[in-house]
Amino acid sequence: MANDKETIQTSPYGGIRILDLTWRYGLYAGRLFADLGAEVIRIEPSGGRPNRTLSPEWQARAAFFNANKKSVTFDFSDPHTEEPLAALVASARVIFLERDGPLYDRLAQLRSDAPHAVITVISPYGVTGPLADAPASDLVLQAAGGIAWMSGRIDREPLALPFQQATMLGSIYAATVTAIALNHLEASGQGHLIDVSVQECIAHSLQNAVQVWDLEERVSIRGGEGTRDAAEDIFPCRDGFVFLSSPTRVGNSWNSLVAWMIEIGHPAGTFFSQDRWLDREWRTTNEAHAEFREVFTSFSTQFDKEELTRQAIARRIVMGPVNRVSDVIADPQLAYRDFFTHVEMEDGRRIRFPGAPYKLTPQVWATGRAPSLGEHNAMVKECI
Amino acid sequence: MKPDFLKGVRFADLTWAGAGPFGTKIFSDFGADVVKIESSVRLDSVRTGGPFKDRVYGVNRSGYFASRNTRKKSVVLDLKTEAGRALVFDIIRQSDVISNNYGPGAMDRLGLGYEAVRAVKPDIIYLSMPMYGEDGPRAGMLGVGMTISAVSGLMWSTAYGPDDPVGPGTHYPDHAANPYHAAFAVLAALRYKRLTGKGMKIDLAQVESTINFIGTAFTYQAMTGENPPQGSNTSQEMAPHGIYRCKGEDSWCAITVDSDTAWRAMADLLGQPSLAASPDYATAPARIANRTALDAIVSAWTGDRPADEVAAMLRQAGIPAAGVANARYLIEKDAQLAARAYWQRVDHPELGRSLYASPPYRVDGERIELVRPPLLGEHTREVLSMLLGLKPDTLDQLETAGVFK
Repeated sequence: MANDKETIQTSPYGGIRILDLTWRYGLYAGRLFADLGAEVIRIEPSGGRPNRTLSPEWQARAAFFNANKKSVTFDFSDPHTEEPLAALVASARVIFLERDGPLYDRLAQLRSDAPHAVITVISPYGVTGPLADAPASDLVLQAAGGIAWMSGRIDREPLALPFQQATMLGSIYAATVTAIALNHLEASGQGHLIDVSVQECIAHSLQNAVQVWDLEERVSIRGGEGTRDAAEDIFPCRDGFVFLSSPTRVGNSWNSLVAWMIEIGHPAGTFFSQDRWLDREWRTTNEAHAEFREVFTSFSTQFDKEELTRQAIARRIVMGPVNRVSDVIADPQLAYRDFFTHVEMEDGRRIRFPGAPYKLTPQVWATGRAPSLGEHNAMVKECI
Repeated sequence: MKPDFLKGVRFADLTWAGAGPFGTKIFSDFGADVVKIESSVRLDSVRTGGPFKDRVYGVNRSGYFASRNTRKKSVVLDLKTEAGRALVFDIIRQSDVISNNYGPGAMDRLGLGYEAVRAVKPDIIYLSMPMYGEDGPRAGMLGVGMTISAVSGLMWSTAYGPDDPVGPGTHYPDHAANPYHAAFAVLAALRYKRLTGKGMKIDLAQVESTINFIGTAFTYQAMTGENPPQGSNTSQEMAPHGIYRCKGEDSWCAITVDSDTAWRAMADLLGQPSLAASPDYATAPARIANRTALDAIVSAWTGDRPADEVAAMLRQAGIPAAGVANARYLIEKDAQLAARAYWQRVDHPELGRSLYASPPYRVDGERIELVRPPLLGEHTREVLSMLLGLKPDTLDQLETAGVFK
């Protein structure tokens, strides 16, 4: 339930105050703590950041990343802000900073003002090294960290992942290490300074590409040419696409698929029963890929996503729908689990939101709307 | 540093393959006692998946396994035997967390369902991470990481353009969203346990976790009523914004021009300062409208230069840019990662002195030093004697009875 914090007796981070001075790559870290009970206060410049716009993309990001946080604004050029700011800092257990954001240039002072806090600094390339100050963006960091190289078609340029994955990766690693450092702080009284590099976060999430180079001197590359099985790809169906993973080594998926084709008398069943489809190596060749695609498509396009999904589940075939966002919203499994929640926005609109990333029992997760700029300025006085 | 931040926290860790062990690795790296319970009867699929040292198969030679299991202990137990299951319960009694990423119902079939575990350990933190949840109309769907990308909407949106999904080239949800959401939940549960003395059940459906990892797609849809546009290299807010071909084989540079000022600087670099004032390109909306022509101009310039040179020139001018790095480049040539000592080599009896990625941060100015992953069953006798107090002759009997396999 959204906006239901009062009903939670004890939440995991109840009583913890977090100052969130991030503005891009660290935004999701504070969100994770906020939804488990922390008081997360965004500290923003009066008037907001220069990149604050009213585009739908910007609004969608602000709604999601700042959900359930508070907002306090300061005119950082005004010396009168020093005292209230220092009071807020002294009251915080965790401070998230980000390069090019407020107070990033006052890190040393912050450390001495808050020796018993966890200070986590998120920056594109880390606070040290030749690129410490280099300009960056989500796409550029996906290139610099190696994940863009891994996706796309071999005859096209590499392909980045959508929806701010540099932010997601930077934030999720920042959140977990901050939670560990907070655990240690509470046990030992020792504060910590964490320096999170988004480039490193991305390079940490490259599947097994690092070991593939180190141990076998092969470079993992987009398209999976020569390594990926012919029956592991996206294929069209009557109303969209499905993703199939039926290499012969994955459980019974291949046998079940071929048996289904034979059962309904589709010629693909006979075709895929030929011995060469048992040859794992041949199945990775371009020839096998082309043949599989043509023949499987003649089968898959007879069905819609719903029917293919139903059959895949019943027959233990590793196959699922390639959902659009609107398909996900209508997904019967998510409805059964009551996954989506609603958040009431400032103007009274109720907006559908992704529910918790994890269902916890006892139920201690709750989210709420993002604050308007400076909505909680009055609370600063209470801190002093 | 070899941190002991989580000293005293113990896992009975039944996770296997990619996503589960990646999530418990962060605990062992920070000093928790992660007892990995595995079996040679049904080997962890990444032990058999490779890549292998010198391309030679072996259950202790997989780099993939190594990268997910640093500083853990390996105990082999045949969970199909009664004695094996009894030993698991004995380990659980000494643990804070039991973790698994099996499909729905598997833990119940092993006699390790939530209620059974809670009966012996009332304050247990019980982490499950099935793909789609424990029950429901599609709970039985089988999937790999890419299936999670497909079902969650991530695959659809990873695309060059409309109605042509390409999807992530890796099993991406296994390598970030799901292991780290799981780890964050366990860390919260540990704090909750300290506050209340109570355990917690964590039911992480990997599809739901991944939906949160693309959460802005869902708020966009909710606020506009439209699906977000497909095209993951392009932007609705700026241009140029893309990956451009450079000189050399399969060489590329990512470039994003995030303001009109940056565009003026870029026009100078292109040697075409007049483009800065041209009505077709002077403003972001104009550049977005003329994206195809603009990309051709940029590609003509990048195509004559190596990616690193393009990136350096643009960065110098304040424009975000980077060559598209592959794993080899990151390991051998990336000056930033080298300067921050990102890569570690760790000795291992069968893998030799092989390469590991550090946890992607420095803590109090230091790297987290990794400890090598365990050989299959390396700690069986040690854990059972030190933790459970079993005597050598009992261990011998169990071994003879075939429980340690």
